[in-house]
Amino acid sequence: MTEITFTFNGTGIAASGGESLAAALTAAGRREFRVTAGGKPRGMFCGIGVCQDCLVTVDGTPNRRACMTGAVDGMAVETQPAFPGLCLDAEVPDIPRARILTPDVLVIGGGAGGLSATIAARRAGAEVVTLDERTVPGGQYYKQSADGSLLDAQQAEGAALLADARACGAEVIGGVEIWGAFDGPLILAESGGSALIVRPRAVIVATGAYERPIIAPGWTLPGVMTTGAAQTLWRSYRTLPGRRIVVCGSGPLNLQVALELAEGGAEIALVAEAAPSPFLHPLRGARCSIHGPALAWKGLAMLCGLRWRRVPVRNGLRLAAVEQSAGGLSATFRRMDGGTCTVRADAVCMNAGFEPQNEILRLLGVRMTYDPAVGHLRCDRSETLETSVSGIFAVGDCAGLGGAPAACAEGRIAGCAAAERSGHAEGRDVAADRRALRRHRRFQNALWQLHDVSPTPLDSLPGDTILCRCEEVTVADALAGYAVTPGHLGTLKRATRIGMGHCQGRYCGPAAARLIAEHTGEALTDRSFFAPRVPVKPVTINAILSFEEALRGDE
Amino acid sequence: MTSDLLVIGGGVVGLIAARELARAGARVTLVDAAQNAGSTTNAGSLHVQMQSRFIRLYPEHARNAERALPCYRQAAECWDRLEAGLGPIHLVRKGGLMLAESAGQMAFLEEKSRREEAKGLDVALLDRAELDRVAPWIGSQIVGAELCRDEGSLNPLLANRLLTKACADLGVISIIDRIDELTVTSDHVSARGLHGRYRAGEAVVAAAWGSGALVRAFGVDIPTAPEPLHMNITEACEQRIDHLVQHAERSLTLKQFGTGQIVIGGGWPADDHGTDAVPGVRADSLVGNVALAARLAPAIGTLRILRTWAGMNTTADGSSIIGRLPGAERIIMAVPGDAGYTLAPLVAQMAACIVLDRDPPADPAPFSPARFAA
Repeated sequence: MTEITFTFNGTGIAASGGESLAAALTAAGRREFRVTAGGKPRGMFCGIGVCQDCLVTVDGTPNRRACMTGAVDGMAVETQPAFPGLCLDAEVPDIPRARILTPDVLVIGGGAGGLSATIAARRAGAEVVTLDERTVPGGQYYKQSADGSLLDAQQAEGAALLADARACGAEVIGGVEIWGAFDGPLILAESGGSALIVRPRAVIVATGAYERPIIAPGWTLPGVMTTGAAQTLWRSYRTLPGRRIVVCGSGPLNLQVALELAEGGAEIALVAEAAPSPFLHPLRGARCSIHGPALAWKGLAMLCGLRWRRVPVRNGLRLAAVEQSAGGLSATFRRMDGGTCTVRADAVCMNAGFEPQNEILRLLGVRMTYDPAVGHLRCDRSETLETSVSGIFAVGDCAGLGGAPAACAEGRIAGCAAAERSGHAEGRDVAADRRALRRHRRFQNALWQLHDVSPTPLDSLPGDTILCRCEEVTVADALAGYAVTPGHLGTLKRATRIGMGHCQGRYCGPAAARLIAEHTGEALTDRSFFAPRVPVKPVTINAILSFEEALRGDE
Repeated sequence: MTSDLLVIGGGVVGLIAARELARAGARVTLVDAAQNAGSTTNAGSLHVQMQSRFIRLYPEHARNAERALPCYRQAAECWDRLEAGLGPIHLVRKGGLMLAESAGQMAFLEEKSRREEAKGLDVALLDRAELDRVAPWIGSQIVGAELCRDEGSLNPLLANRLLTKACADLGVISIIDRIDELTVTSDHVSARGLHGRYRAGEAVVAAAWGSGALVRAFGVDIPTAPEPLHMNITEACEQRIDHLVQHAERSLTLKQFGTGQIVIGGGWPADDHGTDAVPGVRADSLVGNVALAARLAPAIGTLRILRTWAGMNTTADGSSIIGRLPGAERIIMAVPGDAGYTLAPLVAQMAACIVLDRDPPADPAPFSPARFAA
């Protein structure tokens, strides 16, 4: 691995080639990457390119995500101001030619579901192109290391899947940001400043999920991050998010990451799980072990591993607030009996379930139904995992939470069906995959009975709690805005600016939709959430220039 | 439900009209369909000079638009007074620039500015050197521009919210419903909605592109049509662009909000998906619109587009429709002819004056809906 140096606000920072700026800066103890319009520092939060809170200015170009940008020798990185300057003598850049692809099957997302779909569709004879946002595909479950080394069986399984996908003759392209999805289907993406225009015969959307945060006072402080962000730091870059860490929220990812970080040398001050102890609900635990003995065993082994390392795992604790103190962060938790306890740490990791990355599906007009069990939209799908829009398939967590093993089975089923749709009927028998899928779904249902991802009602939070990270809209602002224009998320957005910032409403949107549903008493539906809009992710104006010639329309 | 006055349409025109009427002491009910409204998606340009887009697309309406030029200037001044009454709406009136990239375009602007000056507009032609002083962010191919000092922009999100709150404070009752039929008797107007019936002494129709259908039964055929138009907004940057920017020949508006964000639009088409679904954004409009902005202002090239949407403009015959409906005098029309957000306060105040039997701020005769009567 090559050793390189870049500067951050003029100070030299050592890094390895392939390392993200966020990882290198975290390793160097730097956590404050940008300053908001309200003058508050922000750092890496999601670690997977969703929250846009880690924006930095790189070689004079603002708005680069530190978590998605690789460190390069000699780079000049600076804290991003709230209002970056314009380069007044800029010229229109040289425009690279757009690449136009017309595969039988386009797979969006190179994680567990997407790679499985890629292999199945390609082996059935279809011409397949797979696009992934990260430089090294693999997705959030298989998180691959930047240097190709393998940490454990989970990473090895992902590496093997990725190698299979490449070896079978599919074109797997990493570092691609999809920003447009239109009827046709027409998919617009950017790769290193060049345009990628895809007009496939069938699309398999496998965009996964992002983490549901715990909205509580202090959740925007640098050093507070999602559990997945901490896992990416460790699994992809072998960097610890801090020396002393608190992990909180609910769900198995928290236990897994706490153990991984402890094994990596971090001191885990506390793992706080919101749900009561599983030993109080032996029946639920038993159901898990019936439907997924291997996974239930893995969970138990994680708990034992944590206990062996003397990591305190406490049930029935909810995060109440995080505060910045002289030596780091202090996280206060509320017990079920109403009492509180406070723990000091360098990093606070949170995961309270998942939100599906369903923006592309919603843009393509796919029908969705709200699932109260997981608190988010599920995509309506046929037995072959085709959506309500002909030729558009959805697999994995983007269609509603299901976990990586289910995503793999879904990918194999949809891959065969999508290949068949484009005239390749050589698909394999998917009966075994269907059986596996049913088993995985039963396991997931049992698993989430053991956890509690129900969000804290916004009304119960202190009024000055930030709800919309990007636009710094507080809970009190949202409630006041709601009083002026009741009944609708769109009007609340226009009245308060909630959801209008960099992350495009991904974190505050679901919370605000729930707030409105609580007030109106109406059931949540697809229309309760922000209307889907392009760009799916922010895209630079200069990158859009390279689509002009290929897409010239009428003015 | 019975009230003195009914306002149909809760967009910017309806809100301002309701506020004026309530301030005069009337009991006002405001009914809005809460779907696909124009002003809730408008980007807040204050247009005064003739838009090149309009002249090119609707040459048959250009004469009406030219005749109404003094109204646009007067409407922009109405916004000054509204801000004084409502509170800050990020109103900026530093003028509008219409950029030219060739001698031919410059000649077009010269002719246009002469005609506008004759209508009392405060316009001037700028050469490249003068342009560099006021707009140092322009591309090297720009040869000059027309400056119209009356133009500017405001933040419609702030204005709509303050107007909504002002109406509530004045006791205006706001209801979400879609009116599908109006009937008039000797002493009242009755409006049938999906959820109820609303009765009032008189009704103001401020339903933009939905207005024509509401009054067709009275034998007045007003050709209001929805025109979904593409819009883009960037993330924030330092405050650099003071003007409302347009192009002499191509469809573009570009301006910077007080939030630091740059809004790019100017009339690229979007897909109308009917009354109950938001209009769809088109890939070719998005790319064409943003690419044009990037060529005229290369300095913004490193910014990212955060969001796109389609706003709803209303077209009719290029001229506003204000006044009592012939044959159904209890109905008062309040529909801007084009650039609805700019004209809103003037149109709403004229309609309110007609209802209240006061002297309107401008002569409403040229805008009477009588021109559409059979």
